[in-house]
Amino acid sequence: MLQATGVSFSYRETLVVSDVSVRVGPGRVLGILGPNGAGKSTLLKLLAGILRPTAGVITLDGAPLASYSRRSLARRLAVVPQETHPAFDFSVLELALMGRYPHLDAFELEGMEDVALARAALETTGTAHLEGRAFATLSGGEKQRVVIASALAQLGNRESGIRNRGFELLLLDEPTSSLDLHYQLEIAALLVRLNRERGTTLVVTTHDLSFAASVCQELVLLRDARVLGHGPTEEVLTADNVRALYGVEVDVQYHAAAGHLTVVPLALNRP
Amino acid sequence: MTTAVFSLRRRALLVYGGFGVLAIAAQLFAPLIGSTSISLTRALDGTVPFAANIDAQIFFIARLPRTLAAGLVGASLASAGVMLQALLRNPLAEPFTLGVSAGSSLGAMLAMLVAPPILVLGVSAVPLATFAGAVGAVSIVYGLASARHRGFSTDVLLLTGVTLNAFFSAVILFLQYHADPSETVRTLRWLMGDLDVSGYGPIVVALPLIAAAFVIFLWLPRGLNLLTLGSDSAAARGIDVVRVQRLAFFSASVATGAAVSLAGPIGFVGIVVPHVVRLLVGSDHRLVLPGAALFGAAFLVGCDVVARTIMAPLELPVGIITAVIGGPFFLWLLFRRA
Amino acid sequence: MSVAAVIRHSQHGAVRAVVLFLIALIAVVAGGGVWWYQVGRQPAQPDALPQAERKDTPPASAARPRPAQRVVSLVPAVTEMLFAIEAGSQVVGVSSYDTYPDAVRQLPRVGALVDPDVERVLSLEPDLVVTYGSQEELQQQLVRAGIAAFDYRHGGVGHALDTMRTLGARTGHAREAVRETTRISTALAAITQRVAGRKRPRTLLVIGREPLAMRGIYVSAGKGFLHELLTLAGGDDVMGDIPRESVQATTETILARAPEVILEVRSGPKPDATTIDRERRAWSRLSGVPAVRSGRVYLLYDNALVVPGPRMPLAAEQFARVMHPEAFP
Repeated sequence: MLQATGVSFSYRETLVVSDVSVRVGPGRVLGILGPNGAGKSTLLKLLAGILRPTAGVITLDGAPLASYSRRSLARRLAVVPQETHPAFDFSVLELALMGRYPHLDAFELEGMEDVALARAALETTGTAHLEGRAFATLSGGEKQRVVIASALAQLGNRESGIRNRGFELLLLDEPTSSLDLHYQLEIAALLVRLNRERGTTLVVTTHDLSFAASVCQELVLLRDARVLGHGPTEEVLTADNVRALYGVEVDVQYHAAAGHLTVVPLALNRP
Repeated sequence: MTTAVFSLRRRALLVYGGFGVLAIAAQLFAPLIGSTSISLTRALDGTVPFAANIDAQIFFIARLPRTLAAGLVGASLASAGVMLQALLRNPLAEPFTLGVSAGSSLGAMLAMLVAPPILVLGVSAVPLATFAGAVGAVSIVYGLASARHRGFSTDVLLLTGVTLNAFFSAVILFLQYHADPSETVRTLRWLMGDLDVSGYGPIVVALPLIAAAFVIFLWLPRGLNLLTLGSDSAAARGIDVVRVQRLAFFSASVATGAAVSLAGPIGFVGIVVPHVVRLLVGSDHRLVLPGAALFGAAFLVGCDVVARTIMAPLELPVGIITAVIGGPFFLWLLFRRA
Repeated sequence: MSVAAVIRHSQHGAVRAVVLFLIALIAVVAGGGVWWYQVGRQPAQPDALPQAERKDTPPASAARPRPAQRVVSLVPAVTEMLFAIEAGSQVVGVSSYDTYPDAVRQLPRVGALVDPDVERVLSLEPDLVVTYGSQEELQQQLVRAGIAAFDYRHGGVGHALDTMRTLGARTGHAREAVRETTRISTALAAITQRVAGRKRPRTLLVIGREPLAMRGIYVSAGKGFLHELLTLAGGDDVMGDIPRESVQATTETILARAPEVILEVRSGPKPDATTIDRERRAWSRLSGVPAVRSGRVYLLYDNALVVPGPRMPLAAEQFARVMHPEAFP
């Protein structure tokens, strides 16, 4: 269980996240929804332990994040940033193997098991055939899947491979924002599969309402750094909340063929 | 390949071994070549007193220290280049990007033009002032990059460095403009780099600094790999980003400062060698950093041999040779790969 | 993204052409440089007493011009010559580096080699301006202003004497110039005479280096007045085969050429004895050099030593004294 209680974060005197309490239980998918600048990415970085809250506390299985060493935290919790642009050319396999760094000793090179793990992770995200390619030459969707594979390799361990050991946490920052429709659906399907088949706990920031509706079981709505709502997707994703979040009149309906709620924008809401 | 395991370890051995042999070969052969022809047997003949043995003097006083200095400086500049390219996530970065060279050059100019003749630990004013200038520049850049942000902003680092380079260069031009023309020639010559250290003293003084930097280098390659992905990605993989950035910045600066006070700001090594090594071994810093250190040593030793023989008894500034040899070689490699 | 990737993503043909062009360009430039050097070092013309290369622009007007009455000199060596031929009272402006003779201290300064102040030069209403050969822009401005220029270039002893005679003609002191040049030639000949027949010590003439270090050592080589003074003062210049005025000498060159005497000339003020002693001892690092072993390293601090002109006999005598002390009991 990853839980934030009364968490605030300010950046140069500006409060970016204000008194946020949110939790995600094992095997759940939590979406962080909100307009641009609402503090979604900052909250995700706080939950990942990349940023330290200026007030409040974040715990993982009851223990504050700060009590974990960076490496032990990295073995439990992996992050997929919005976009990854390595400054130099790495191969797909090399990139996936970087997920193994938190498991290596100071001067240790990746061993046979690590390579096997990275390959299994690439297999899981359907990118095993790309392993020799230069990462920079991949399409946006392929890159995103390789980075997810690297995250899975990071969460695996040498004894049990990349099989989920019940508490793996994957935090993704707007994983579909720069992708076209095809890749958006591909990534959505991959995340759903990871959650269903492996029980991976996911925390996803997004401003794509359909994506949120199709992937997330729970949502936390952020506006102006504060929590506007937190609960199961069906309860939170309402026309009223969307109007409050984005200032847009929408129609929210269950779409039988899609199997989830859909949100159709109708008009701008002028106060 | 059967599995990549062996290939990573084998590649590491291959890279260390290959570049290591190259560096050692360069160190061994370079002292045998020079503007005068000497007999090695006579140089190593213990029966002739050293003071009377010109061959031994040329070998042990003129050539050997010079070759060692070239190796040290080449290794330092090349690995500092790797560090800064990874730290700034910028393939165009080099050891002199962050103001170290301009700071140390300003120190050297001041020493040449106005400083009193002093000796500290057997080191004369110019190398002392050079290193002091490097320390000054690094402190200013570091102070500004840390001041406005929690942690360490590489953007501010880059901007401060570039601005400081321009500022110091202007001060240097001002000093040269007001100097006697004959002094100007000497200061300009210093800027082209000179490895003729004429003894082991300067090397002995620079060595602890360079060694300290290299000890820090040992811990950094994995962190550098992650830094090239961006600082958030690196932090999420369990490294202390700011610590790695600071260590990279300081170790690279110390190595550069020591190298410049030993031989002046020799250009091109710090940018071309890292790229050449990357073209040959890929981007993994566990291969690139040691590879660049060893290849940088071999490269500068080789360039120095050319510098002191091609127009013998005159000597060309080694900075010209590094550019003239390094440039086309790099282009050729790039072209071959493209 | 690495540079290689940039290339990979761009159009191969164009990149190929550009890369090949750059490589070819670098090869041509490098080759040209070597050729230029080879050609440059070929003719080691002994310019012991050469014909002066007259590059001075004659005044536009008359065939036989009136002697110049108001002279501005941007070249300290020429200022000294002008005073020596008794044209000092006609000098109305000097360069910012002029210090000799003392009379120049009262004269207006008009800049120097890289920063001549044209306005100040013109405001002094000169009818002759002495410029360096490389100050072409200034010379053109003078031509436009209708002012005669005397274009000075460094040369050997003979060239300095020729320059003095030409200056004499231009300033109406031809007779004084002949008298002065004759005095100089006679004095130099006397020094040569005094050391004649003695064994010429192999000598290295150092004109600059880093303080207290064996680095950045500049030496006089086989061209120019210093080399000639050294030779006529009875020395065998160890760098005499290199057709340059000065070169940077490496440790190896100095060890290999094994000078028996090392002469360091400095133009600055003479420091205290301790500093001189420390500077001398800096040479101990090269103990294999005969001059160092036998203690024949001499540091001479005197402006006269580095200026071609009337004080050349003084320089030559100082050289002769340290190379042949037994000739000056």
